[in-house]
Amino acid sequence: MGNVDDDGATFQQSYAKCSNGTTKASTPISNGHIPNQHLAESCRDEQQQPQQQKVPQDEQEEELQQLLLNKQLKFSAPAYTEIRTRSGGLNFKGVSESSYHPAKQAEANGYVSQTGSSCDKFKPSRADGVLSAEQEHYQKTSFEDVPLYTACLTYLGFYLLMILGYINQLLFVPKVATEKGREGYVALYDAFESFYSRYVYRRVRDCWNRPICSVPGDELVLKDRVTDDYGWSFRFTGTETRCLNLGSYNYLGFAAATGPCADDSENRARQDGLAYCSPRSELGNTQLHIDLERLTARYCGVEDAIVFGMGFATNALNLPSLLGPDCLVVSDEKNHASIILGLRLSGATTRVFKHNSMRDLERVLRNGICYGNPKKGGKPWNKIMILVEGIFSMEGSIVRLPEIIALKKKYKAYLYLDEAHSIGSMGPTGRGVVEYFGADPKDVDILMGTFTKSFGSAGGYIAGSKKLIDFLRTNSHAHCYAGSISPPIVQQIYTSMSIIMGEDNTDTGRQKVQQLARNTRYFRRRLAQMGVITYGHEDSPVVPMLVYLFSKIGAVIRTLTTRHIAVVGAGFPATPIMEGRIRFCLSAAHTKEQLDYALDVIDDVSENLGLKYSRKPRDPHPIEY
Amino acid sequence: MWNLKDSAAHLYRQYELVTCINMFEPWEKKLINGIFLLMFVLLVFSSCVYLPSYMDTLIEIIRPAAGSSKVDDLTYVPQRISSM
Repeated sequence: MGNVDDDGATFQQSYAKCSNGTTKASTPISNGHIPNQHLAESCRDEQQQPQQQKVPQDEQEEELQQLLLNKQLKFSAPAYTEIRTRSGGLNFKGVSESSYHPAKQAEANGYVSQTGSSCDKFKPSRADGVLSAEQEHYQKTSFEDVPLYTACLTYLGFYLLMILGYINQLLFVPKVATEKGREGYVALYDAFESFYSRYVYRRVRDCWNRPICSVPGDELVLKDRVTDDYGWSFRFTGTETRCLNLGSYNYLGFAAATGPCADDSENRARQDGLAYCSPRSELGNTQLHIDLERLTARYCGVEDAIVFGMGFATNALNLPSLLGPDCLVVSDEKNHASIILGLRLSGATTRVFKHNSMRDLERVLRNGICYGNPKKGGKPWNKIMILVEGIFSMEGSIVRLPEIIALKKKYKAYLYLDEAHSIGSMGPTGRGVVEYFGADPKDVDILMGTFTKSFGSAGGYIAGSKKLIDFLRTNSHAHCYAGSISPPIVQQIYTSMSIIMGEDNTDTGRQKVQQLARNTRYFRRRLAQMGVITYGHEDSPVVPMLVYLFSKIGAVIRTLTTRHIAVVGAGFPATPIMEGRIRFCLSAAHTKEQLDYALDVIDDVSENLGLKYSRKPRDPHPIEY
Repeated sequence: MWNLKDSAAHLYRQYELVTCINMFEPWEKKLINGIFLLMFVLLVFSSCVYLPSYMDTLIEIIRPAAGSSKVDDLTYVPQRISSM
């Protein structure tokens, strides 16, 4: 099954038309907009269009063409280059830019080859019945090891940072607020944490928490700021930079200020108000919330669902109501902070298994069952729950769902699947990891997800059997005490979910899911061809590119910003200290041209900063879109 | 388009990135560079003073004074016998 639907024929046709120049490249698929070529096609197909409608159509097409041209111009002019590259920033590796020969042009990256070579779009998968789940996982996931010299140099870099931080701390007073009259009191904060944030994080602080002044769709506008005293304080320069947005969780491109979702939300806000400021069980319940719950249940393929106002709170406040002190929880190593917080609040015994390792999971389960509850002298546990996420956002890896379901059935444990990132972005119709693997949603006991990532909204949900949801309606902290989702946000979720399911009678939802799958495959393959190390499964839209060193994270983010690309970097303590990474989040709103531009810039930057660590063989053939 | 200055700049930038020096303030950069330079000079100086024969061999290998090419260095005989 996988992600890609077998509609390669339509895409090939459309791109053949593109390279001929008769139709324009598709405009970004934003909220509810139908891409240009389909509009043009449908207009051409319908014979009964009167003549006078052609004129505004042409004008609109001209406008769009001008816009596209402007975009291209905008993207090809760097503001200033912080790190001067040898080629001056404008040499693109694409063959087509340098040669005019038609045969050579067609061979460039991202275009369908004229010879019609067979693309291995469809690697065999378990759902097709060819490979076992384990083999498929190992074929499609890559976690390349760090080269030894890089590891040593990373440690050396950190030692230098620490030494200089200590010297700084000894000699100079930091520009932080201090409490007066507290001599002899125990320090409020952990010493290492404050040291780290003042002397390591502070130096590259300008790469995080950057203010924006537009909606973070496929592009965003960054407010420029400079620091005069090396990161202690910032001031705004007054200029703004328009960047390609590779950092937002905008998988299906619903984060836009225009379109049917935005219009519906606005109408709903006028009709029903902005917030009820009351929990669901008191005054915060409306028919809209009930409708949304029913729609979510249908979307996930289960009996019932319940929605909450905040995604983080869905995990943190519902795990205590589902688990108690006599339960065993087996959770993945790289689970999110919300899950860890919820588990700590619940008081259950937590055992950790190595990330995505089924052998370790089995070992932990067997130990748990054999030795029982040590607090009660070896008696059996009340329940055993396996906690995993659909897509792990820092690693880009996908959970091994078929094997976990098999293990869960063997050892009679419950399964809690946190699909925060994978709902809407995986599966042929966007129903998540469960659909991606072709599993039965009734096998997963508790399906949890958030509306923040793919639906362009806020909030979280839990879906499962009616018994579970009825239990949660009476016993969940978030349902009884926390405020409900505000009406315009519910409307946004409702509209976007209907679009994805295709219930608004357009093709937009399906196209978005397909576009995301194509973007993901293309981007990951191009990155692998370049030779940078990326982690994770080849189908996950979260792409972490490893840079290992702290200084490189800062340098890459700054350089990419000068080239009009906005990305997010992650270092210690969010990741292990050895593995600093740059994380790209792809979106269905990105067009191929934007991705090509981004990939060329990444290629240039990684060559100049030395990020091409990969020792795998690189694919010499150009990669089709 | 390769020239020495660009190459040297590129190498210095790589050195800065790899040792995290590019994150530091200028006085810290000077301090660290100074310490590294001091250690390097110390290394070279002590190997010249305390191990003259080995240094001579090294120099012979890098830049043969007798004019013989590196190819027939397979069976290498040192030109100068160390005085013990």
